[in-house]
Amino acid sequence: MSIEQLSDGIFEVITDDRKILATRNLYPGHSVYGERLMDVDGVEYRQWDPHRSKLGAMVLKGFDIPIEYDSHVLYLGAASGTTVSHVSDILADGLVYAVEFSPRTMRDLIKLCDQRPNIIPILADANKPRSYAHIVETVDVIFQDVAQPNQAEIAANNSKYFLENDGHLMLSIKSRSIDTVANPKKIFKDEVKKLESDFGVEFEVLQRKELDPFHEDHLGVLARMFVEDED
Amino acid sequence: MKAVTWFGTLVISEDGEVEECCLLKKDPELLAEHMLTAAGDEYLPVHGLKLRELALDCDFVDLEEEYDVLLREVCISTVKRQISMTDTDDKHIIQAVEAMDDIDKAANELSERLTEWYGIYFPELELTAEPMARFVARFGSRENVPEGHNMFAKASSSMGAELSLVDEDLLRNFATSLCGIYDTRKNLEQYIMNNMGAVAPNVTDIAGAPLGARLISLAGGLEKLAAFPSSTVQVIGASNALFKHLRSRAPSPKHGVIFNHPLIKGSPWWQRGKVARALASKISLAARMDVYGSAHDPSIRENLERKVEAIRKAHPEPPKKLSTKVTQPGPGRAGGRPVKKRGGQKKGGMNKGGKSIGNRSGGRSA
Ligand SMILES: C[S@@+](CC[C@H](N)C(=O)[O-])C[C@H]1O[C@@H](n2cnc3c(N)ncnc32)[C@H](O)[C@@H]1O
Repeated sequence: MSIEQLSDGIFEVITDDRKILATRNLYPGHSVYGERLMDVDGVEYRQWDPHRSKLGAMVLKGFDIPIEYDSHVLYLGAASGTTVSHVSDILADGLVYAVEFSPRTMRDLIKLCDQRPNIIPILADANKPRSYAHIVETVDVIFQDVAQPNQAEIAANNSKYFLENDGHLMLSIKSRSIDTVANPKKIFKDEVKKLESDFGVEFEVLQRKELDPFHEDHLGVLARMFVEDED
Repeated sequence: MKAVTWFGTLVISEDGEVEECCLLKKDPELLAEHMLTAAGDEYLPVHGLKLRELALDCDFVDLEEEYDVLLREVCISTVKRQISMTDTDDKHIIQAVEAMDDIDKAANELSERLTEWYGIYFPELELTAEPMARFVARFGSRENVPEGHNMFAKASSSMGAELSLVDEDLLRNFATSLCGIYDTRKNLEQYIMNNMGAVAPNVTDIAGAPLGARLISLAGGLEKLAAFPSSTVQVIGASNALFKHLRSRAPSPKHGVIFNHPLIKGSPWWQRGKVARALASKISLAARMDVYGSAHDPSIRENLERKVEAIRKAHPEPPKKLSTKVTQPGPGRAGGRPVKKRGGQKKGGMNKGGKSIGNRSGGRSA
């Protein structure tokens, strides 16, 4: 087995017959969602299943992941932490604010937070960024995976609040949360357009790709926020 | 600008300098307490702040690491409090639903009594139930109805008997107690609305809080609801008819409580059986996901809506042959009339539903 680094903290473990996406395990000896642990040269890596994670799929679809080892990340729609755990692995010297609004799911996420020093859990509705503006500082990256009809609006409002000048937004858009019958391609086009200018904040879309075959009817978007000069 | 932060209240100048700060004590439990209450504060920042720098500037912490460690501890403690405040136990929901039924029974009897009794003194008052109780509790004797009140005319020309002071007191107390019972009912309703989302997020999404709660209560718990086949979910609440069906092979009942769901109520009678089957199968799926502790998954609802759409498209007209026989298509009865025995099941994609159950329970939390 050998190892290749794809971007900060993101690796491919190369075995005889395949390549496995992985992150370096911040909490060695523990698997979070049943994923495989692999030892390469005395370092433990955790397999990152792109079928279970939009961000993982975005890595394999060739997105330039803007998360660095010391980034501050706001993660919206953390669920029980499948993907957050990998973000936490990447952020050896950074921090992730994990926002989730379902108390039930939060119970699982809290267990993960207890194990890892760089996850800050927040039980709140991403539609109301102001309700956590006393907790969350401005961040370098926002990642969002909420499967809500107003995904673009949520992303724009949170960016307005919390994204650093020049910060990056990564967004997974699920077409079926917006319209169950319309053509996904059309929905994606509309959503990206909305995101770019509809909510009083402008974005430059750097990359956009569908996340198949890992996730059907999902679009990944990487964008950078334009800052208007105030003075 | 004045801004509440998790570590204190600050006054910040135009160019981001701290002008004043009122810091909280560095005690994680106190900070968590404050974090909870601050979430609704009117001085929450109106845009994001560089909180870390501000905390260093006003000497709340000396090092960034200290900021991280403390914030994490406070947030974990806050979230744990929030979780323990939300009730996730279906037993409470069941009690609340049953209490509501008890209340309905009691309120009915008491309000009938009040109507009959108070009718002696004010027969022209055409109120019943809650409005009646509120009226009597407020005014007592009809002589107290003030000018300008919409009952004033009736009250001053009433043919009813005189009401003695003693009787007035008695009736007023009685009506006040009844009002209290109606208030309690509203509290119970609110309780169910507030808690169903935490107890069973997916069932609540599909069935709505009141109907979802009723299904859980009738089934005897969320786990039992999840264990029922969806054909049973469809008839939950129709128990008399169901037992008759089981004993005597009478035609199986089709009217469980799920027939109160807007998707069924809003469908024409010839679609109702099919919509009910689709709804029941999604409620089953939702209950299973909730038992496994999965998060809210909007795709169940999306699938249901798509399926109902397909039913609407496939059956826009009432079936011809039957329409001559159905003499009075009353909404209740005719709605359940099987067009063909279990006809829609083959088409309706039950298999798909079944498959996704397997997928989900295996692949939780992705
Ligand atoms: C598709 S799941 C996210 C999966 C997660 N990103 C992962 O890969 O591990 C969507 C999550 O977003 C949460 N969610 C939906 N709407 C939300 C909102 N308005 N605020 C916060 N969380 C929300 C849901 O409860 C659910 O857990």
